[in-house]
Amino acid sequence: MNILGIESSCDETSVAIISNDKLTANLVSSQEFHTKYGGVVPELSSRAHLQMVIPLLKDALKKSELRLDEIDVIAATAGPGLVGALLVGLTFAKGLAYSLKKPFVPVNHIEGHIFSGFLMDEKPEFPMLVLAVSGGHTLLLHVKSFYEIVKLGTTVDDAAGEAFDKVAKMLGLGYPGGPKIQKAASEGDPKKIKFPVADLAGRYDFSFSGLKTSVLRHIQKEYGPSLQIPEADRNDIAASFQYAVIKALIRNSERALKNYDVKTISIAGGVAANKALREAFAELAEKYNKKLVVPSMSYCGDNAAMIAYRGQKVFESGKTFTLGYNAYPSLPEGIFQD
Amino acid sequence: MELPFKKEINTELETNSVAEEFAKIISEGDVICLNGNLGAGKTYFVKQIAAIFGIKNASSPTFAIVNEYTGQKKIYHFDFYRINEVNELYDIGFNDYINDADSIVFIEWAELFPDVLPSNTIEVKLTLNEDNTRVIEINKNGRR
Repeated sequence: MNILGIESSCDETSVAIISNDKLTANLVSSQEFHTKYGGVVPELSSRAHLQMVIPLLKDALKKSELRLDEIDVIAATAGPGLVGALLVGLTFAKGLAYSLKKPFVPVNHIEGHIFSGFLMDEKPEFPMLVLAVSGGHTLLLHVKSFYEIVKLGTTVDDAAGEAFDKVAKMLGLGYPGGPKIQKAASEGDPKKIKFPVADLAGRYDFSFSGLKTSVLRHIQKEYGPSLQIPEADRNDIAASFQYAVIKALIRNSERALKNYDVKTISIAGGVAANKALREAFAELAEKYNKKLVVPSMSYCGDNAAMIAYRGQKVFESGKTFTLGYNAYPSLPEGIFQD
Repeated sequence: MELPFKKEINTELETNSVAEEFAKIISEGDVICLNGNLGAGKTYFVKQIAAIFGIKNASSPTFAIVNEYTGQKKIYHFDFYRINEVNELYDIGFNDYINDADSIVFIEWAELFPDVLPSNTIEVKLTLNEDNTRVIEINKNGRR
């Protein structure tokens, strides 16, 4: 069976193919791709997706040595994300499904991330504790099977990845903030400055807005009004900030480990690419004697491999969808059990 | 609440009561611009108003550019922070959102792209002072 996956929920356009349970292509649009096929369009736009999706599909088929009519199921991200961007991939998928007379499967982007650990050779085992962390989401989930997902906590304000981006900007480190902070932090002292992270007592929710403000306060107090930060201090601030974020993510995850039946811990999403976070989770897993599955870098950011994988599981569950299925911008309330 | 409005805020509770008063004077079709530095409390203010309309899942739209919420009112919650150029906004259908007379539109960092805003907006300006107090100023803005 050949599954086509299409992802266009935010900045990245991606097309992937899973052929007989094996990932044969996972292509993500890159700046070079834009130059090759389209020239200059705004980086963040529906038009950019529109320009990328067909060339990506052609390359993915070529790489998988398949013809378009050999695709059996067409899966695409339906949400959450930017509606204009989602509609490009979703409508394209529906069009393909209609013309090829093949089933169309809408995929929840977050569910794609949740099960991205299954793209690794070492598979997770249920029940899992999954932390899905990205620029747009921070979710802690208890996943009992492919179809039973319980939401334990989420961010009440900023996502973890967003805090990385904003602090990187304050420090003059540029975009994207994750890798920049990680690099600066690797040369800094994580215990130098004690930044507080809100603990929403006893709950699994996260809050990173206050942390962001306290980093800003620190910079203004120490280096105002010029805001010229010496490099060594900048590294210490980056390290201390990163430490505070990880501490909050670990704290809530550990709380969940104590209260829920868990065999595997998995972290997913763009922030899961952070090395210090991976190390902290490796320690946590060891302490509680749990299996840890962390997707490799290419499955952490937004990618269509996870959409194809999830699409196959949803298809196998026997659920069918009409072409009237619409894109949804926000995570629908109640999509995960509380 | 009468506009223009200005108040010094010392606690979250005071912010909440300003949000509550403000929520009474806004309605569908309004475009509310939130300006103020990182950490000034823009997202928090929108969250409080959303909560008054029965929306519990409001959060920062920085990454997504726009979040949509539906409760007793429908809300589009924008953030221009990550936008590099005006065309990106038009490309994601900004005009469709802004002309939806059935929704209230909130825009964080609206001042970054003043030219895309309609002529009548309400501006909520949030200032975070050195001593951790905040000032909330609310004005009706008629451009030109």
